[in-house]
Amino acid sequence: MTRTWDMRALAERILPTLSILGFILLWQVFVDFRGIPAIYLPAPTEIVKTLWEMILDGSIFVHLGATLLRIFAGFLLAAFTGIIVGLMMGMSRIFERIADPWIAALYPLPKISLIPLLIIWLGTGEGYKILISAVTAFFPIAMSTYAGVRQVDRGLVKAAEDLGANRTQVQLNVILPAAIPSIFSGLQLGMGVTIILVVAAEMIGGSSRGGGMGYLLIHAGQVMETEKVFASLVVLTLMGAAIIKGQQWLDRRLAPWAVLH
Amino acid sequence: MNISVENVRQVWAGRAGSEVVALAGFSHHFRSGKFSCILGPSGCGKSTLAQIVGGLEKATSGTVTIDHPGEPGRVVPLGSQSVMVWQNQNLFPWRTIVENVAFGLQMSGMPLAERTERAMNLIASVGLKGFEKHFPPQLSGGMRQRAALARALIMDRPVLLMDEPFGALDAQTKIVMQEELLKIFEATRKTVIFVTHSIDEAILLGDEVVVMTARPGRIKEVIPVDLPRPRSFDLVSTPEFGKLFDRAFHLIRDEVTKAMMEMNQPGGAS
Repeated sequence: MTRTWDMRALAERILPTLSILGFILLWQVFVDFRGIPAIYLPAPTEIVKTLWEMILDGSIFVHLGATLLRIFAGFLLAAFTGIIVGLMMGMSRIFERIADPWIAALYPLPKISLIPLLIIWLGTGEGYKILISAVTAFFPIAMSTYAGVRQVDRGLVKAAEDLGANRTQVQLNVILPAAIPSIFSGLQLGMGVTIILVVAAEMIGGSSRGGGMGYLLIHAGQVMETEKVFASLVVLTLMGAAIIKGQQWLDRRLAPWAVLH
Repeated sequence: MNISVENVRQVWAGRAGSEVVALAGFSHHFRSGKFSCILGPSGCGKSTLAQIVGGLEKATSGTVTIDHPGEPGRVVPLGSQSVMVWQNQNLFPWRTIVENVAFGLQMSGMPLAERTERAMNLIASVGLKGFEKHFPPQLSGGMRQRAALARALIMDRPVLLMDEPFGALDAQTKIVMQEELLKIFEATRKTVIFVTHSIDEAILLGDEVVVMTARPGRIKEVIPVDLPRPRSFDLVSTPEFGKLFDRAFHLIRDEVTKAMMEMNQPGGAS
């Protein structure tokens, strides 16, 4: 009995890895067996080889570094403004009434449609790429922060007042920490869209001078270097996963109580 | 500290412009250094009353005055001399137990080292030594209620308001907590207003039991409890306790039935 359960537990642990490896193996066999041209679908071995070359000549790091810098710049800008606006909306009725129509009108607008306008105003340099990602990430961060403040347990506010906290002390010591789990989930959503928008902006307004993963992808696609397209996608996938996992780890470190419930 | 509640009414705005009268003219004089229990069915406004006395809710009409202990005729602002212990504790989940207990001292600007030392001492005295660095969700209900009690006691305010503090605890934990509260009260002689819907609890703890009617809440009868102190749970099995229990039970039975009827009416539930 125990033995079968051990087997089952083991199977459950290795199945995710097996699923990926199996898929890659099928892909390899399919490409080799059917003789698919690399320009349509390169074999996994070819993709790994290309990736290795890009690592050796350092080009992947240049592009990845440029993209990461833009992601963090855009994210920090969005986090800073989004949290402040969200907190102000949640804590001040007047500010909420002023900001509400703007949020309501701009939230559903696909932010990517602002790209032409931003290119007209800012050109296709760093400012445009950072701003388009920051504008997009601003909304989920501001909305989550606002919701977090609004959903604060009234009982906790009353308890703090009973223990002698004044208005500012309640805001700093109760409302802000109570909103942290909500702010963090807003930041995670914001990080997701920042990654998307930076890569998209690099694809649309990218140049060899500015570089970036989006530029690398679109350029490789235009000259039919399909191995390079796949290699870039692999790097982008790993980058996104690392950022999101790192952010979750940081959240747990900064607010251990938020995951205790 | 003597607390006079005069003709307090509390009216909530209900659905579609209707009004819900939570308290309909509650008047009572809570004597200094006495343990008063407010006993009533669900929704009779007893928690609201405790919050009004604590300055946490504003009554629709009526007055609450707390006499200044030193100067006859002067009153103190509501909330300044009282502290509340809540049924759901209302501990801050992002603060450790010691940070929770020290909260009030921190708000008044006491330096970290001093307030931490005081909080540590109080935590030890309520039997939570070793749990100072835990977060509230890591503790059991009984332990959380001890922490909440310590957080209130550290304020050293003469009036202790308790809103069904043991209502959510299991039967055994409840008895232990009641005995500890008796010890604390008998040692400190604070003025206590203790809201409960448990008849045994009200008689075991109180110097008087204020029995309330179903909503709209007003006083049905005040039962003096002249049982000797110090008390312990053994009191529950004495004939004197039984007599008081019967009296309170007969008073409250009709009110509980009324409260249940009202809950089942459309628009009647709170």
